[in-house]
Amino acid sequence: MDRRNFIKLTAVTGGAVTLASCGNPEHELIRFVPDEDLTPGLAELKPGVCPLCSAGCGTTVRVMQADVDTVRNGQAGVVTMSVAKKLEGNATHPVNQGALCARGQAAIQIAYHPDRITQPLKRRGAKGSGDFQPIEWDAAIAELVAQLDKLTASNAQASLACWTRPGASARHDLTTMFLSRFGAAAPTTFELFGDDVLRRANLMSFGREQLPTFDLAASRYAISFGADFLGTWNSPVAQAAAYGRMRQGRRGVRGAFVQAEPRMSLTGASADEWVAIRPGTEGVLALGLAHVILREKLRPADAGGRAGALVDGWSKGLPDYTPQAIEQKTGVKAARVERLARELAEQRPSVALIAGAPLAHAHGLFQALAVNALNALLGSVGTPGGVSFMPQVDAAAASRPARPLRAVAADILAADKSPVQVLLLDRLNAVHATPPGWRVREAVLKVPFVVSFGSFLDDTSVLADLILPDHAFLESWTDARPESGATIALTTVAGPAMKPLYQTRATPDVLLDIAKKLKQPIKPELAWPSFDQMLQASIGEDAWSTATKQGWVEIKGKGQPADSKGQRSEGKGQGDIAREAVFDGDAAQYPFYFLPYASQAFVDGSVAHLPWLQEMPDPMSTAMWSSWVEINPQTAGRLGIGDGDVVEIASAHGTVRAPALISPGIAPDVLAMPAGQGHETFTRYASGRGSNPVKVLGPSVEQVTGALAWAATRVKVTRVGEPDGTLIRFGGSLTEAEHTHR
Amino acid sequence: MSHRWGMVVDLDRCTGCEACVVACHAENNIPTVGPAEAARGRAMHWLRVERYWEGEFPDVRLKFRPVLCQQCNAAPCEPVCPTYASHHTEEGLNAQVYNRCIGTRYCANACSYNVRFFNFFNPVWEKPLHLQLNPDVSLREVGVMEKCTFCVQRIKAKTQQVKAENRELKDGELKPACAQSCPATAILFGDLNDPESQVSRLSRSSRGEKLLEELGTLPNITYLKGQAEA
Repeated sequence: MDRRNFIKLTAVTGGAVTLASCGNPEHELIRFVPDEDLTPGLAELKPGVCPLCSAGCGTTVRVMQADVDTVRNGQAGVVTMSVAKKLEGNATHPVNQGALCARGQAAIQIAYHPDRITQPLKRRGAKGSGDFQPIEWDAAIAELVAQLDKLTASNAQASLACWTRPGASARHDLTTMFLSRFGAAAPTTFELFGDDVLRRANLMSFGREQLPTFDLAASRYAISFGADFLGTWNSPVAQAAAYGRMRQGRRGVRGAFVQAEPRMSLTGASADEWVAIRPGTEGVLALGLAHVILREKLRPADAGGRAGALVDGWSKGLPDYTPQAIEQKTGVKAARVERLARELAEQRPSVALIAGAPLAHAHGLFQALAVNALNALLGSVGTPGGVSFMPQVDAAAASRPARPLRAVAADILAADKSPVQVLLLDRLNAVHATPPGWRVREAVLKVPFVVSFGSFLDDTSVLADLILPDHAFLESWTDARPESGATIALTTVAGPAMKPLYQTRATPDVLLDIAKKLKQPIKPELAWPSFDQMLQASIGEDAWSTATKQGWVEIKGKGQPADSKGQRSEGKGQGDIAREAVFDGDAAQYPFYFLPYASQAFVDGSVAHLPWLQEMPDPMSTAMWSSWVEINPQTAGRLGIGDGDVVEIASAHGTVRAPALISPGIAPDVLAMPAGQGHETFTRYASGRGSNPVKVLGPSVEQVTGALAWAATRVKVTRVGEPDGTLIRFGGSLTEAEHTHR
Repeated sequence: MSHRWGMVVDLDRCTGCEACVVACHAENNIPTVGPAEAARGRAMHWLRVERYWEGEFPDVRLKFRPVLCQQCNAAPCEPVCPTYASHHTEEGLNAQVYNRCIGTRYCANACSYNVRFFNFFNPVWEKPLHLQLNPDVSLREVGVMEKCTFCVQRIKAKTQQVKAENRELKDGELKPACAQSCPATAILFGDLNDPESQVSRLSRSSRGEKLLEELGTLPNITYLKGQAEA
């Protein structure tokens, strides 16, 4: 008997003696034998993968010993174990280079959240009641297997569906393989502030269906059309690092930066020049700039190339886009258009960015193609200081392509018998993130069997029949393949930083387990015994030790996505796509443009349950734990709305109420609201807190890609009451307010 | 050689993203107080990003400034403390000895920068959120004033490590949590006694300014103005 087993045995017998001799054994503190790899007081640094967005940043997890309340073999007690203490940026990682955004640092609270689901749950009450009861893992998996076997028996494999968040990873590949080989469509991905429009435009202009990487560090001039690239969009840490170098990283050169948008974003606040532009006319401004550059022959006429050829009238010098026409359409003065165009052409390398609200219109694709053409004209594609595309490896091919969320929901609602019989929900809170007109909640309720893998009850997973909780990311093998933010193809990968706290199981392992348990095993079989073996196989043996040691590894030898993918859209000019914004709602009845935006704390709301982020003051308003509606001071004055007054925003599709926040950084005809709050169900910190701007959005979509046009709704605003105290500001309360002491 | 710790915040790099704010919470066991107490002005942020609106639409500007304890060399918070809880260290830090503090709040009253925070109640970490706590940083109880320490636990650990390895501290090797997390490298930390350190060189920059310099508090933090306004 070795030392370890001896101690174990004495601990067990000791415990038994205590139990026998004591009247209330359940009140006894049971201390389990700790692991031997612990060094008291000494921190260990392990690599990790940030799970929050598709940027795929690498983290360093600081791991130390702690006493953890736990359950072992049905007995509650305390065990001393290694646990994660802090997330930091992985200093060697090519994307985030040692830094980590506010949200990434708060991600540790996902693992330690007091409302995490700790074991499988089965619905007890009515669908959507939130009444669940615990169930054993074996029984839970058997239930799902039985449901899937039933589909196979009736030859209805295609009625299995999976909804998840976008982002390339081996985990996503595994899910896709599982579904495809079972006979179902690939997972449906959705994200409120998704980038499908820009990817499509890049495919058409440059042959790459991918988000761009900006070499801002070498740019002398950047113009951004609504892109919140320093806050929430794409790869914000990588982009902020490059931005810092653009400003102060070169001796004698300070890059200039112009932002065009109707409401000042976090990114817009850093601009040298902020251009208030009429919503939905950003592409027109971009073509106006191109017009001046072409007219003045500041750049070679043929520099536009393929991207330019996609724009109607490009070869004729864009005659419809004179500065006077631009002023009329966009509200930007003609002289300013002339000057900005000259600066762009003369202070090269210059680069243009577009993302966010400008693309969330029916004519979003037109707007993106316009900016792509401008970049091509500036000679900024694939050159230092410009825009480029990070090498990628091909993702696993799906035999049946994914269907868009809106279409799946519509199909479910239209048919007598739902075409989706079994729905797998993987971390996507679709009910919270979609407009009321899509009727996603109704659709989920109509699916006979809904399984959620999430770690929390949210507005969507509360509708589930069965919950198979995933490990927290720190407890499992995780990976991500960044699409942007570096110059080499790479995968971020990490093993568990700590042992699981609860009776949870890694979702990829659950899928592998189910694949083996099906009556008719799926073919070709998913042969890996566990997800980490699949990861190892996908990365390759040579790279594996590097990958697990440093938390990422460069991937080579698999080539780039075939340029031929671009063929299906090539040659398709702009003749048949929308070129002007169409807003949902009559301008007379609904006089304001409504602009929901990704909040710096929560982005779309998927991290609204983390207390550090709830209490993080919003950079622009210093608001914490709040929702608000931003209103221009003149507009507020005209309507008799005071700061903090409760207002109601109404569209043709719904209403929300929130306190008014008078802000000088917004156009008089625009009302803006941060996304992320307004969950009915999402843990003690976010449930019933604030309001969700998505619930007033019309169902409009971008015309070509079908992406949600979340910036294309008109609204009206009414003051409904005095300040109700829900707008909590840090900046307004730096000196203590008068109050009676508790 | 003795150290004098200093910081440079480059406002031309700062984007206001608040990575530093959450990093500070995570490193220093700063409690969240919840919406009700936050509404009473009791939220605790040793480091905050101040924002200043200028002008009117459409010619409007917004400027960010991360504000934390300026670690003044002539600190108004120190002489007012009756128990010497708030005191000056040999390395230039305004230190706070929590178990000496009796909660008079004179220091917070005297501070020109509003960077001292009082524990109006015992902090709560709803289990198992307590597992995130950093064992290197002591927890503060009700009635105690707390503030930015320049991550003194990191200073101690690194200087001891350097001593054990019998070598000099390398410039940039020691970073407080805020500087470590900053995506745009807007926050730099180092030894002002080393004339060649990056903070020494940058604090002599023509873009440099101290916050509320006219008060004569002699901060150890230098802000670098954006070039457009330099």
